[in-house]
Amino acid sequence: MNDKTTDFGYQQVPLGEKARRVAGVFRSVAPKYDLMNDLMSLGVHRIWKRMTLELSGVRPGHVVLDLAGGTGDLAKKFSRLVGEKGHVVLADINEAMLQVGRDRMIDEGCGHNVRVTQVNAEALPFADNTFDCITIAFGLRNVTDKDKALASMLRVLKPGGRLLVLEFSKPVHEPLSKLYDAYSFSVLPALGQMVAGDAESYRYLAESIRMHPDQDTLKAKMENAGFMRCDYFNMTGGIVALHRGFKA
Amino acid sequence: MSLKDEATPPGLLETAFLASIERAINQALRTDPASMERLAALSGHLVSLHLTLPPLAIYMLVVEDGIELYHASDAEADVSLHGSPVELAAQLFEWRTRGSAVGGPVRIRGNQQLLQSLLDIARDLRIDWGALFEPLLGGEMAQAVEHGGRQVLATGRDLLARLGQQLSNGLQRENGLLALRREVFEFNQDVDELRMDVDRLAMRIARLQSRDENPS
Repeated sequence: MNDKTTDFGYQQVPLGEKARRVAGVFRSVAPKYDLMNDLMSLGVHRIWKRMTLELSGVRPGHVVLDLAGGTGDLAKKFSRLVGEKGHVVLADINEAMLQVGRDRMIDEGCGHNVRVTQVNAEALPFADNTFDCITIAFGLRNVTDKDKALASMLRVLKPGGRLLVLEFSKPVHEPLSKLYDAYSFSVLPALGQMVAGDAESYRYLAESIRMHPDQDTLKAKMENAGFMRCDYFNMTGGIVALHRGFKA
Repeated sequence: MSLKDEATPPGLLETAFLASIERAINQALRTDPASMERLAALSGHLVSLHLTLPPLAIYMLVVEDGIELYHASDAEADVSLHGSPVELAAQLFEWRTRGSAVGGPVRIRGNQQLLQSLLDIARDLRIDWGALFEPLLGGEMAQAVEHGGRQVLATGRDLLARLGQQLSNGLQRENGLLALRREVFEFNQDVDELRMDVDRLAMRIARLQSRDENPS
């Protein structure tokens, strides 16, 4: 039945199956995740993440949740921004990614104010009104029930707090879109095979991006979840979009 | 935190440019462990730089392993500097000799001791150009680059100082913000002349008064 299935790339799979399959993908790519990100985006993912930090409004003393934080790129930066009086929760559903992230936090000297937690974004195990800022970078498209996840994020945000969703989106220029398609479905899987020995996971990545809601649809979803003053900023011609919403 | 936040992210190129500067500074710092250690002691402090031309804000967060640069920050900076890039550079480089940077075209607010410490670190920084370029160019070439780098830095500092002086002179001439030495000299001459005229007039009045009192 349609209402009991969801997309896993271009495939339709039973609802409970998606999380297991996504976990399989990320378990496979975790050890080479950062390297692959650099190769696939030619390093631009770092710039996208910097732009997210610029909009985070995080300052000393804040409490930040970095959802789907994986290897901890953003968490490391937040750890420095919140200082000794604040703290950061690096959260991911995938234990393999978290293991890489936890080791990195310790190696980078961020262990004192970063807590690493395995969570499901659809049912966040935190008290209401806990966080000043929540970020989810390149993670929302892998969540099975995005509406439920957004509602859960709203609940744990403090009033006035903000959610930032950094995610692949829909290119706004047709020629760029065609070029991007060719790159995603030809180059990415080949790169994945060459570097991580796993073409399938990177094919899923390309497919999951196409299945993810476009800019306006995601903005509408955030508004439906109860976020206020939602807006988005296209980056690199809309290949990636940064959505922002506040809790009233 | 406010629902009124209207901030928009900076452009991709601006962000990439700032990231490149940050990376270059941190790489340079890594070649001088002594400076890095002094800087690490200041970690957690935020410095904001507000340039007037072009209008640009840069925030520098000191961290354990260098610095992080941002275009925006909601945090209150420990020390903030406002001014044009040339004036800022010139004033900061001459900080010690001028005694105080406050009151000039550059405005400095906040923890000036922190700023002084950062400037001291920057002044004492000894970049090991050889170590930076050896993996890329090999030992001999790296040594040549190191020698060249030191010369370029020294020339750059001189140039900046001269540029600051010229800019200051230009401001004096074009805007009349400050009096030139010649103008002060001419003004003093006018004052002297006026004083002598007043003296002469006073003496003449005195003479006339004495003639009235003692008509011959």
